[in-house]
Amino acid sequence: MIHMKNVSKIYSNGTEALKNVSIDIEPGEFVFIVGASGAGKSTFLKLLIHEETATFGKIKVNGYNLTKIKKHDVPYLRRTMGIVFQDFRLIEKMNVYDNIAFAMRAIGAPEKLVKKRVKYVIAVVGLQGKEKRRPSELSGGEQQRVSLARALVNNPEMIIADEPTGNIDPEMSFEIMQRLADINKNGTTVIIVTHELDLVRSFGGRVIKIEGGAVTEDKVIPSSIETNTDKTDSVNDLENEEKSGNDEEVSE
Amino acid sequence: MKFNSSGYLVKEGLKNIWNNRMMSLASVIVLVSCLIITGAAILVSVNVNSLISNIGEDNQIKVFLDYEMSDIDAIKLGAVIKKIDNVEECVYYPKDEAIKEYKERLDNLYESLQGEKNPLGNAYKVRLKDLSDYKNTIEEIEAIEGVSSVSDRGEIARTLTKLNYFVSIVGFWVVLILGVVTLFIISNTIKMTMYSRRFEISIMKSVGATNTFIRIPFIIEAMAIGLISGAIASTVLITAYNPIKDTAGQVIALISTSAIPLSSIWVNIVSGFCGAGILIGALGGYISITKYLRKEGGDIIGW
Repeated sequence: MIHMKNVSKIYSNGTEALKNVSIDIEPGEFVFIVGASGAGKSTFLKLLIHEETATFGKIKVNGYNLTKIKKHDVPYLRRTMGIVFQDFRLIEKMNVYDNIAFAMRAIGAPEKLVKKRVKYVIAVVGLQGKEKRRPSELSGGEQQRVSLARALVNNPEMIIADEPTGNIDPEMSFEIMQRLADINKNGTTVIIVTHELDLVRSFGGRVIKIEGGAVTEDKVIPSSIETNTDKTDSVNDLENEEKSGNDEEVSE
Repeated sequence: MKFNSSGYLVKEGLKNIWNNRMMSLASVIVLVSCLIITGAAILVSVNVNSLISNIGEDNQIKVFLDYEMSDIDAIKLGAVIKKIDNVEECVYYPKDEAIKEYKERLDNLYESLQGEKNPLGNAYKVRLKDLSDYKNTIEEIEAIEGVSSVSDRGEIARTLTKLNYFVSIVGFWVVLILGVVTLFIISNTIKMTMYSRRFEISIMKSVGATNTFIRIPFIIEAMAIGLISGAIASTVLITAYNPIKDTAGQVIALISTSAIPLSSIWVNIVSGFCGAGILIGALGGYISITKYLRKEGGDIIGW
């Protein structure tokens, strides 16, 4: 699914955003990417969708070798993944239905299939009856659900969610995470970039921590919802890290 | 791109025109102006050519033979003239026929100027292939033994050739400059559309839309603007053609007979204008969107 070996990314201004990163993510995994702002998370995502290319190292994503990928194959790579953005990225002039359908129409899907799939994903994210609403008529959580539906509609192998709960209230955040977890249970790989360690602790999964462009931790933590146990050492570690991350942000 | 997407892409392209209606309207106005000026230059050029060719048809120079020349020598001389490269046609014009042209003006005298008393000489009516080589050809004919004189219409030939050359050169530059201006205008319109839709483009890129798929609605929009402009410009020119022709005909009588009738060119005007509009639109749109996608369109905003 994702194979990164000794990947480094140095931008033209000399910034070394990623340093010798090696990660393997298998199909069906539920992965959190955590780290402070500027740690290299965004660069990691940009490399996955081939918006940026690695300066060194090898990357393979969903069967595409990104070191050698041809320009005309990039759209097909992106069709294997659905992206959920922190700020939803919904088109205001389109209603819920059209925002979701847009992702299918943009890749030339026939209208008959669009109708069928959009109806299905609207049900998956629980937005039945709100198809005609404009994004501004929805709550933050609902908007993120539209964004999630749009990411799902092309039936991707992998969902990449960039701070999916960053702009919504805690209750809605939990719901969005729950939906991502449900999607993962159906076999879709889910990669979530987040700051919210409470949610990481609640849902559990593989947690990859990026610091200063390097992977400093890569571990699996259990879900506290399922196990309903006290915080594990790992979670405590994450909490400490969150505090130190926040301190870093403040000092920046 | 799948065939079933074509309806969606066309719809999106046409929707863009309405969504950016002020910019589209401005483009159509500028494009119509450019096309009318370009079309007018072409029509003037075409009509001047027609005028030249009309005058050229009448422009039979007369080669007068020595008065005493026998009929056999006259035929031999005609053969020599025919061999000259620039001579298209050479028709014998006997003095008996020439005097008939003056019958009405001579009135009673006509009868007394028949046969031996005919003061006119035998001649050849010669039509030239290329008026620009008029002078050399006349000199060549005059050098033939037995040629008494040649009617000189060199000035008309030279003026018309100069006019034709001038119109062609001016027409070429007008078409070229306005073509570039038109291309610039239409590509700017598309640039504006793209700017207003850059957010949608970034989403399209993020979900895996190909560049071709992203390009098509913009190219369709530009082609539609070109088509609309072409249709308006051709309607304006067709409407104005006859009144302008009639007015010009009142000033220079020859124009009214030599001008190309509207019935034989209106199809060319419409198809030419609409075709040019579509072509310029397609080209302008393609240049614009390709440039955008290469420079900025690859980014998925915000990351």
